[in-house]
Amino acid sequence: MHPVLRLVNRNLTVSLNPGFLIWQVLFPLIYIFVVGFAYTSLIPGVTYNGEHVTYPAFLATGMIGFNIMNSTLVSGLIIWNDRRHGMFEQIMSGPYTRMQYVLANICTIGTVGMISAGLIVGVGYPVFQESAEFTIYTIPLIVFAAVTGSVLFGSLASIISTRLTSSEGFNVVINTTFIFLAFASTAFYPAEGAPEGLGAAFYFNPLTYIVDAIRAGIFGGITQAVFVEMAALSAIAATLFVVAAKMMTKVDL
Amino acid sequence: MKCISAAALSKAYGDTRAVDRIDLNVEPGQAFGFLGSNGAGKSTTIKMLTTLIRPTSGSLNILGVDALREPLRVRRRIGVVLQQPSYEPTLSVERSLTKYGMMWGVPGDESRRRAERLMRDFGLADLRKKRNEDLSIGQRRRVQVAREFMHDMDLLFLDEPTVGLDPAARRELLDYLKEKAASGLTIFYTTHILSEADYLCDNIAIIQKGRILASDTPAALKKRLGRQKTITLRTNADDQTVATALAGIPDCVVQTGMGASITIESAKPEHILMEVLSRLRKNGIKMREISAEAATLEDIFLETIRDASGSETG
Repeated sequence: MHPVLRLVNRNLTVSLNPGFLIWQVLFPLIYIFVVGFAYTSLIPGVTYNGEHVTYPAFLATGMIGFNIMNSTLVSGLIIWNDRRHGMFEQIMSGPYTRMQYVLANICTIGTVGMISAGLIVGVGYPVFQESAEFTIYTIPLIVFAAVTGSVLFGSLASIISTRLTSSEGFNVVINTTFIFLAFASTAFYPAEGAPEGLGAAFYFNPLTYIVDAIRAGIFGGITQAVFVEMAALSAIAATLFVVAAKMMTKVDL
Repeated sequence: MKCISAAALSKAYGDTRAVDRIDLNVEPGQAFGFLGSNGAGKSTTIKMLTTLIRPTSGSLNILGVDALREPLRVRRRIGVVLQQPSYEPTLSVERSLTKYGMMWGVPGDESRRRAERLMRDFGLADLRKKRNEDLSIGQRRRVQVAREFMHDMDLLFLDEPTVGLDPAARRELLDYLKEKAASGLTIFYTTHILSEADYLCDNIAIIQKGRILASDTPAALKKRLGRQKTITLRTNADDQTVATALAGIPDCVVQTGMGASITIESAKPEHILMEVLSRLRKNGIKMREISAEAATLEDIFLETIRDASGSETG
């Protein structure tokens, strides 16, 4: 087996424990079926691309992007945990290069992101199936958005992991980042309804682009704007990946 | 071909020289002890030898491979037990071993077989289902050492591997390593517990402030550097009589209390002993007991370090 695949195997064993998987399903389920339906009395529906979409359907599709971010930020903790528990140094003293370690982490994060997205698509499908308009062209877009989003958030978590040394500092930064990215995005509500400044701020958030692309893939309505968003997202993901890889090569042993 | 051949190896952090132009030669099948007090440069040296960090200068050849040019080739053939704990907190003991085997490309069946054997050899069989995070520090350390034997290697580096182990586990580990060394595995063992090095190692180097002060077999070091020997005599006379009889003899101390006891600490105690015996005879004092102690590795280590510090300040 190739060294990168061996490391991916190990990373998945370490990250995909039953607790993590249950949390990955349970957390979005609460959002979709509790928050989504509870808010229906306040938000009867959302107009998406000229079509009426129920709020639970809108939220369920947003939760796919949200769950990708959530899981990949958690998977990005692999580096943090490896450093904290001495495994980074142990792996580096074995038959691996740093670049293989970085690649394996990104592959792991991408895999976890896809699994998370798949879980929410499976769980949320009954909620958004009425409005869904999958085509042969939209599924690759959803997969592309999921993978790009995974790389982006995984790289972000890796950068944070390599920069910080204290557990307290790390938890503060990762949680603040997570809350900001989750709530200042279109995952939970459309940008159009938000106050002007806040609505604009949504578009400085990569999660918005991921969610927009996934919704366009599910509800149809792939416009030129979606492609521009995807191009921007890919550029940010690539930049963060390069920065994360560079920083990994400089981690002291 | 030497297993480790380092020449003028140095590592500097800014203006601080953590390791200063050291030379090391380790033969195949040797258990090589690398001794030094805390902060002497042991861990920095082992990190250079295992290619974890790059030396500032010098040359390094491990198992016939230029370690500065081809570090990955070296790492494929060595095992490393680091000083700091390393473990996967959520994995069980058994899973830790088999996963580590997988990471080294050991096929599944063989990996399971090796894990079984190692759990038995390291007393981990009863803990096989326990997660690493639930183990004691000593148990975790045993897993960390056992894990390294999951893969094949030609050279094993151990950086203070007995930290956190109780005396029985420590002795078991040393015996296990001794057995491995006897079967041909080369071992590079750093420690500041000198009795361990004395028990395990064929050759020893002492490092202090980044420099190697002495390197040889434990016996040769004791012979070469063990200047002090201690001879103790007990007599039938009272303290005052013995003290008066032996007054003026250098390096000879009369201890009073439970019957006079005479201790001679000297590089040439035999000469002093002759003088002591002659004076005791003249004064009609009879000897009840005599014992001699050669210098231990600990004495040599402390003496070497003291000499080095003395020559620096002097």
